[in-house]
Amino acid sequence: MDRGTRLSAGLHVGLILWIALGDFFFSNDVPPPIEAASVSLITDAQLKGLEARAPKADKPDDKPKVAPKPKPAPKPQPDAPQTAPVAPVAQPLEAPTPTAPLAAQEQPIPVPDSPTPAKPRPIDRVAAVPVDDKTDTPEIADTPTPAVSDQAAPDAPVVTENKPAASPQEAAPVIVTEAVDTKVDAPQLAPTSSRRPQARPEKPIEKPVEKPVDLPADAAPDPATDQAAADAIAAALAEATDAPATDTGAGQNLPEGPPMSGSEVEGLRIAINKCWNVGQLSSEAMRTVVTLRVEMSEAGKPTSVEMTSYEGGSDASAQKAFEAGKRAVMRCAGANGYDLPADKYGQWNVLNLIFDPAGMRLR
Amino acid sequence: MTLLRLIAALVLMTLPAHAELTIRFTDGEIEPMPFAAPNFIDEGGAGQFATDIARVVASDLQGTGLFREVGAEAYISQITSFDAPIAYADWKAINTQALITGAVQASGDQISVKFRVFDVFTGEQLGDGLQFAGTQATWRRMAHKVADAVYSRITGEGAYFDSRVVFVAESGPKNQRQKRLAVMDYDGANVQYLTDSSSIVLAPRFSPNGDRILFTSYASGFPQIYLMDVGTLAVRALGEQPGTMTFSPRFSPDGNRVAFALERDGNSDLYLLDLATMQLTQLTNSPSIETAPSFSPDGSQIVFESDRSGEQQIYIMSAVGGEATRVSNGKGRYGTPVWSPRGDMIAFTKQNEGRFHIGVMMTDGGEERLLTSSFLDEGPTWAPNGRVIMFTRESAGAEGQAQLFSVDVTGRNLRQIVTEGPSSDPAWSPLLP
Repeated sequence: MDRGTRLSAGLHVGLILWIALGDFFFSNDVPPPIEAASVSLITDAQLKGLEARAPKADKPDDKPKVAPKPKPAPKPQPDAPQTAPVAPVAQPLEAPTPTAPLAAQEQPIPVPDSPTPAKPRPIDRVAAVPVDDKTDTPEIADTPTPAVSDQAAPDAPVVTENKPAASPQEAAPVIVTEAVDTKVDAPQLAPTSSRRPQARPEKPIEKPVEKPVDLPADAAPDPATDQAAADAIAAALAEATDAPATDTGAGQNLPEGPPMSGSEVEGLRIAINKCWNVGQLSSEAMRTVVTLRVEMSEAGKPTSVEMTSYEGGSDASAQKAFEAGKRAVMRCAGANGYDLPADKYGQWNVLNLIFDPAGMRLR
Repeated sequence: MTLLRLIAALVLMTLPAHAELTIRFTDGEIEPMPFAAPNFIDEGGAGQFATDIARVVASDLQGTGLFREVGAEAYISQITSFDAPIAYADWKAINTQALITGAVQASGDQISVKFRVFDVFTGEQLGDGLQFAGTQATWRRMAHKVADAVYSRITGEGAYFDSRVVFVAESGPKNQRQKRLAVMDYDGANVQYLTDSSSIVLAPRFSPNGDRILFTSYASGFPQIYLMDVGTLAVRALGEQPGTMTFSPRFSPDGNRVAFALERDGNSDLYLLDLATMQLTQLTNSPSIETAPSFSPDGSQIVFESDRSGEQQIYIMSAVGGEATRVSNGKGRYGTPVWSPRGDMIAFTKQNEGRFHIGVMMTDGGEERLLTSSFLDEGPTWAPNGRVIMFTRESAGAEGQAQLFSVDVTGRNLRQIVTEGPSSDPAWSPLLP
């Protein structure tokens, strides 16, 4: 065999081997299983019926959806006469009512634990005279019956509370009108009103602390000389300021002590505040802010109360507001006076008290 | 000396001024003021009047809800003489803040009452003592006048105890109710009937000085407004026009004009009648229903109710007519507006969610506040001082009855005015002279 014949035979053998074994070496793809589905033939009428019952698909909206802005509450406007034509102005569409997604199963509706909405603390001054039951009981007497009897057990000792005949009535900062008190239909899971936050306590006036200076014994001042110099300086000061010297503290060496602490000032404020009753003041007096100057004795008793200024009302209303403030100062001083630090008398021998009922105004 | 002045100036510049302790109070108490009104001293012939007058004074003050009487059982000391010094310590000890002392003297049919008011804790007399004189038949009025003076001295408010109320006294079953006009003291005492029950009467209104009463009557078979002279009880019809109905009248503040509603062919509008010339002026001209006019205290404006917006609301217009401005803004229907004697507020009836309310709002419609809530509250009327509102409350059911109630403008102190029988449509008089 010549060389050409051997080359041809070799190529043919290679070709045959590649055809027979090529997939085994070069491909490991597993053919996918064939899916089979059972079908049945239907008529045109059946097809149209199926199409009619099929739910309509929403049209795809390419534009991003923007929730329409809620329509602002219309401001009250004077109504035009009915004979006037309606202005042809396009009105904005009502915002759709937002709906919560439906749950697959019916969910229990959360209810408050209490069968009745929370109510403000009742004040017995409201409807002080009980309304005749025959007239309209549900509107006035709607206090729920307590679940637990408040009657004492038969064998319990009877305790009688000794109340002074003239003890002050309980007062509350929230005024509950009948309209509010009887509104039981609307759920009130949260309090509808809250007490006004109290004003930040007045920052105590910082006074320079006088530090005693250790003087050498031989440097002790001559009292007579000192007094003469002090008198001369005081006279010069009075002349320079043209201000008359006041009785309180003038020319006296009042104990200043360390500055009044915040709690001491707050204690005094609370002591007077609990006697400041504005319930009987007129509407105008409730709009009047009065400033009182109170001179105090060392025993903590007010010795003089006068109104130094007022704002927001007339002379008459200021007088009533002043009387209420003065009554508070005098009443709560009691027989023993206010409990104030004696070593700081120089700081509280004169008080400036500002009575501002604006926050309690009943409009 | 110059050196001393220089030193003084330096001291003034360098040393901090002696700062007085300043405290601000913003949240006091709102509670009735305890007061004591011991029986007045009998200074001759007063007898029971000395006690009765003191009791009426105490009742008036306590009825406001602003005061609380300290009972006689708590007294430590007694008032034995009108001019005796006050034992302030004894009254302080029982927490009495105001003390009222008085004395009564009677001679023949005449009676005189004098009184003083003391601020116990400041140890001062509030104002000067006062004295009133009159016949024994007017002893309650004198007691009211004492209470008025005390009330004004302590609160600074105008008074209202010495005033009267005209109202409709009702009798008979609900579907055949008989109604007649009556007047009484503000507290329900001294009821006097002005008309018989032969025809239905509605909506009486006092004139500004209390000498006349406007009301609506069905005496002619249809609603018609009438004017009554309180002194003689003489009655005459006003604004008669064939084929019309007139109702809801109200005096102008000067008492010379009457605003009312006139219904013709099913449509009602507001009119103004000059009582001197009997000239009639139409104030509104609208296919809607306008009614319940009420003048502002200065007489320049009228507040009224109208359904021109499709629902009953409150509007204000000039007293000579013209464009009206709606002032009610909340949900529900508003009606029977009445301008406060102070001029700052409007009282109204509101119906919302099946309940009726008496409420107040500022004249621009702001700061609306509902004072009451019931099955049926309606027809507010202001006390002469603009602090208290009286109205009609009717209970539900066939046996339901109309009663008169009063409430403070703050919403506190809701009280029933006890009358002999069912009563409605109250209208407060001015303070009596």
